[in-house]
Amino acid sequence: MFKRFPLGFGVSEGRMGRFLVACMAMGFAALVAAGLAAAWSTAQNESHTRDVNHTYEVELAIGRARTLIEQSETARRGYVLTADPFYLYTYRKAMAQLPAKLERIATLTQDNPRQQRNIATLHALVDALAQQREQTIALTRNGNRERAVTLFQGESNARRMIILRAQSDAMVAEEQRLLAIRDAAQLASVRVFYATLAIAGLLLVLVAAATLLTVLRYTRDLATSRDALRDFAETLEEQVQERTADLTRANEEIQRFAYIVSHDLRSPLVNVMGFTAELESATTEIGALIDRAEATAPEIVTVDAWLAAREDLPEAIRFIRTSTQKMDRLINAILKLSREGRRVIAPQRLDVTAMVEAIAASLQTQIEARGATLVIDAPLPGLISDRLAIEQIFSNLIENAVKYLSPDRAGHIVVRGKTHGKRVTYEFEDNGRGIAPNDHQRVFDLFRRAGNQDQPGEGIGLAHVRALAYRLGGVIDVTSELGRGTTFRLNLPKIFVDPNTADTRETQR
Amino acid sequence: MTDHKSVSIVMIEDDEGHARLIEKNIRRAGILNAITHFTDGTTALDYLFNSEDGPQRNGPALVLLDLNLPDMSGTDILAKIKAADGPLRRTPVVVLTTTDDKVEIQRCYDLGCNVYITKPVNYESFATAIRQLGLFLSVIQVPDIEPKG
Repeated sequence: MFKRFPLGFGVSEGRMGRFLVACMAMGFAALVAAGLAAAWSTAQNESHTRDVNHTYEVELAIGRARTLIEQSETARRGYVLTADPFYLYTYRKAMAQLPAKLERIATLTQDNPRQQRNIATLHALVDALAQQREQTIALTRNGNRERAVTLFQGESNARRMIILRAQSDAMVAEEQRLLAIRDAAQLASVRVFYATLAIAGLLLVLVAAATLLTVLRYTRDLATSRDALRDFAETLEEQVQERTADLTRANEEIQRFAYIVSHDLRSPLVNVMGFTAELESATTEIGALIDRAEATAPEIVTVDAWLAAREDLPEAIRFIRTSTQKMDRLINAILKLSREGRRVIAPQRLDVTAMVEAIAASLQTQIEARGATLVIDAPLPGLISDRLAIEQIFSNLIENAVKYLSPDRAGHIVVRGKTHGKRVTYEFEDNGRGIAPNDHQRVFDLFRRAGNQDQPGEGIGLAHVRALAYRLGGVIDVTSELGRGTTFRLNLPKIFVDPNTADTRETQR
Repeated sequence: MTDHKSVSIVMIEDDEGHARLIEKNIRRAGILNAITHFTDGTTALDYLFNSEDGPQRNGPALVLLDLNLPDMSGTDILAKIKAADGPLRRTPVVVLTTTDDKVEIQRCYDLGCNVYITKPVNYESFATAIRQLGLFLSVIQVPDIEPKG
């Protein structure tokens, strides 16, 4: 009858949470890696730019030095040819600037031993050249121009200049070579950067995709389980209705059974009672006979006969009578109970507060006689239910509370009520003598009573109350501590719905 | 009036003890009419409607009826006796049973029962009820069966 519903999710919540956190962590790690790669690449780029600038500076310095060497050469040649002091001046000026320029190159290429060697060679060349130039210039200044020209022609000047040019070219080439190496390094670092970026990007895309898929799947699972829950809730209602119908059916069966049994028990009881009465009248006759016999012929009256007629028979009849009377009361109680169960319920709007006040008023003398107080926590929530049944339940419970108060202390009884959604709970609390725990269920059974049997009663009241509560679609339970007090809790539907009519409505729909 | 046949009493009661107690008390009430006793519905109905010496052919009768019978419900017998065009519809029927259910009592009166007596377990009230029934029997005028044709 009860269906099983898949309440678990396809992805367990914990696992899915961990997976999402891992994805997020991976995504962030990828972002951090991309950022680091970018920073590293920028630093690389900067240093490369610095290197390129440096190379250009070196090249520029070499170019300048070479220009000065060329310029001084041209000026010297002019002076040797024309002996014009202007050329000499130009020559001197150029030569004066040259050492600074060479020094500059040396400073710039300090970290490069190869260039250092080159610059040393250059220095030597320039020095040799300068020495020879000074010779020709000195000759020219002394007026020996022809000698100077001859010296100039004979000297390996031109060749020396060529070597010098080659040397400076070599230096430039060296710088270019370094630049090329640095370019390659730069290119490699850029490649690494792009690779890192690509990997990080790919990772991000993957993580995003995985997260998206997980979230989608989770959402789908959630929707599925929500639907399952909704279905479950719907069937739950049906199950409750089914159960209630079952209970009602069982209750009806018991009522019918009780009715038949009580009837069939009554029939032989009529005989027992009837013939006991016959027996009694016969005993009277026999008693009279014994009396007469005693008077007229005492010798025929034996002790046994006298005892039988005067004591045994009346005693037996008395016991039979009390027993049958008790049995009759019990049968009547069952009959009353079953009849109550078969009564047609007529729901109507009930003012429970007024009802309880009326019950309290009817019990006022008993309450006062016991020096007790009854408090109604007004207003009590109202009901739409059967007036007679509710009245009987309430008066039974309140009567019980009054009846079983403890003689040790002033009685205090509280009646209160509370609405929960479609149901109402009423509480009947007293500080009476209480019920022992193993009697909590027993007190609701027919003919069963708990504690001292010092109060009149047949053990019917609470059985009746429970039958009525069931009949009205309610339940009743008890919490109690022996010697402390008892609380009966009655839970009823706010609006009585006849299970039979509810069923037909269900099938018609 | 004087020559009308004496009313015979038909008792339909499955419990021998009850039957005996009822008979005793009727006799104590001074009623001396003949009592025919049946313990089940089928033979009782057969007697009522078909028997040579049954009430249908032999004048007025009074039926004492128990509702709880082994083979049929007493109300069925009541319905048959009181059927609208039945020959025994004017025969008085006293329902004497343990049932004191209001609905059942109502139903018996609806079917045409003349008196309904609940068998009390208290013997004194039972005896009183029967004696009152005896008084009732002595005063009622049981009608003749309709002249045939």
